[in-house]
Amino acid sequence: MRKIRNIFIGFLVAFSTSAFAEEAGSFKQTIANFSQSVDGFFNDYTGWFVSLIFKSVPIGEVGFPIIVGWLLLAAFIFTLYFGFVQFRRAGMAIDIVKGKYTDPNSKEEGEVSHFQALTTALSGTVGLGNIAGVGVALAIGGPGATFWMILCGLLGMASKFCECTLGVKYRTILPSGAVSGGPMYYLSQGLKEKGLGGLGKVLAVGFAVTCILAALGAGNMFQANQAHAMLSYAFDVPSEYGLITGIVLAALVFSVIVGGMPSIASVTEKIVPWMAALYIGMALIVIVGNIGQVGAAFGAIFAGAFTGAGVAGGFIGALIQGLKRATFSNEAGVGSAAIAHSAVKTKEPITEGLVSLLEPFVDTVVICTMTALVITIAGLNVGPYDGSGLTGVTLTAASFTETAGIFKYLLAIAVVMFAFSTMISWSYYGLKSWTYLFGEGKTPEMVFKALFCVFVIVGATIQFGAVIDFSDAALFAMSIFNIIGLYFLMPVVKKELASFIARVKSGEIKTYEK
Amino acid sequence: MNENESCVVDLTRSLLKDGPSFLSHKVIITGDIAYLRPTISAMMFCAVYIVVGGGLVSLATYLLIVSTKYDLSIFVGGFGIAIGAFGIMLIQPFLRRVSFNRGLGIFDNHIDRDVKLHHIVSFQINNKMIMRKHGLNYACFELNLLTEHGRRINILNHNNEQQLIHDAALLGEFLGVEVKDYRREIIL
Repeated sequence: MRKIRNIFIGFLVAFSTSAFAEEAGSFKQTIANFSQSVDGFFNDYTGWFVSLIFKSVPIGEVGFPIIVGWLLLAAFIFTLYFGFVQFRRAGMAIDIVKGKYTDPNSKEEGEVSHFQALTTALSGTVGLGNIAGVGVALAIGGPGATFWMILCGLLGMASKFCECTLGVKYRTILPSGAVSGGPMYYLSQGLKEKGLGGLGKVLAVGFAVTCILAALGAGNMFQANQAHAMLSYAFDVPSEYGLITGIVLAALVFSVIVGGMPSIASVTEKIVPWMAALYIGMALIVIVGNIGQVGAAFGAIFAGAFTGAGVAGGFIGALIQGLKRATFSNEAGVGSAAIAHSAVKTKEPITEGLVSLLEPFVDTVVICTMTALVITIAGLNVGPYDGSGLTGVTLTAASFTETAGIFKYLLAIAVVMFAFSTMISWSYYGLKSWTYLFGEGKTPEMVFKALFCVFVIVGATIQFGAVIDFSDAALFAMSIFNIIGLYFLMPVVKKELASFIARVKSGEIKTYEK
Repeated sequence: MNENESCVVDLTRSLLKDGPSFLSHKVIITGDIAYLRPTISAMMFCAVYIVVGGGLVSLATYLLIVSTKYDLSIFVGGFGIAIGAFGIMLIQPFLRRVSFNRGLGIFDNHIDRDVKLHHIVSFQINNKMIMRKHGLNYACFELNLLTEHGRRINILNHNNEQQLIHDAALLGEFLGVEVKDYRREIIL
């Protein structure tokens, strides 16, 4: 209780006008105390949860987190079960995006064009996972972590295909007219159809609880924290001024999620693809500008993947970091993407599953690899890889800045925009889980939204530490409940896929050449 | 254009793609004038942007005075101007007084050409679903008018169904025109 009291006192002091009026030293101390209290709180009260989720089994000299193996095994099983769908049906997925299976003359009201669908999907995949996450992976796992990220991305395509198909198939229309879908619904309804209603309910509730925690952690505090870290790096802003970053971000998030202003959401949707293009453009400039070093960078990535030189735990250490950060970035198997994809306008669940499998490829195999190449080429990330030097978003930013000083400013704009759009997305995931547990209604929804905005300020103010561990743990915990359900429901997806392919072959589903 | 040429106006289609997930305006009738009054909550949410933008511009000015961090000042100021300008742009439709004036016999929304009230044939209530890839999707409703020349103009656009139906009835009675309900089931 004392910790909780300290946090509230710290919060009140931080907001009081006297704290602003006093000298910077006092303000800095207040924020440091607040930060320490919050971090201590998370350490004391959620440490057991983090330990439980990341429980490890010793492999050689290093502990291998069971949860990482759980995700990797699932992705491998789905890949085999669906007959390497991510490779064999990639062409079909691209055709769906290109509109080959959509009558160009029957465009329905509100339907987005395929180009829009593609840009939305691509922009949705680029975020802080690609920027800060890769920075963390390489700082702790060395260049070799990249190889394992790529592998995880390729296998994760099958997990995403499975969960997004189910997200659409078992979505439901709420009394308000809004569409709701995602693991909560396919776990409860899908397993009920199989006579496992009790298990489905337990899994759905477990998923919803962990999704709320992840929304507040990975989807909120981590984003706000890294946005301010980027500003600190680019403009030399003292870390204690994260409070201001937090208040500004929280006010904007508040206006969107509480006010429901459509305009800012529309503006964000329009700007984020350009930010993604800006980020990819900057990465390409660095890579092309240093084309002579790309071969050596790939050499370091492959060598590091199997030797793990300079990494605690050798190649197993590199593997763990690669897999963890890839999952954090592409969210395959976690279940969050299924919530977003369930709102799409389609009559065929499988088409959304096929389109969604492209996302881990673009996100992890292409963009994360580009970030890793930029970091490796810059040469600022040197062994031993224990995270004591530059890490996270600062490592990535410093690596970009090695090529051109202006990149840190462009990156700062991109990071703030990505953090903002990710927070909006995760507020949606969290709210869907919250309403699943507590029902639709103004009061329960407002409670979550207010809580979410407070956590933005907390996330931007505090330092890296226990909070980030908690963010990680909550995100990974979602996969426990989601993947158990996916194992039971994967025959449903296989049947959907077979039916779709058969109807395409028979001509029942027409194709339209552009 | 041939005067005898006819065209079909699809009254079931909504006019606007987007819409807020809150009550933005209410219809108020005073004497011979019916006008739309913005709700306080709608104005407040717009004001958030103006306050945040203004705060950032002030902070940038302060930084410019007390420190030599010009890059930070430009960054913070730029963000502030962008957010503030966005807020001003957002609040403008709420400040425009949209009215039906029986005395003058015109409808004026400060966007479209004024419409003579006797040209208004009917009002229509339409529903739509606002879809977002990474956000809440929600039902939204429109109240539109149709003129005898086939022009359709949006009057109300928000997600409070009951209030919109009530306001439509008020306007229908005020102008003596029928209100047609074109709400339909939206299959996703």
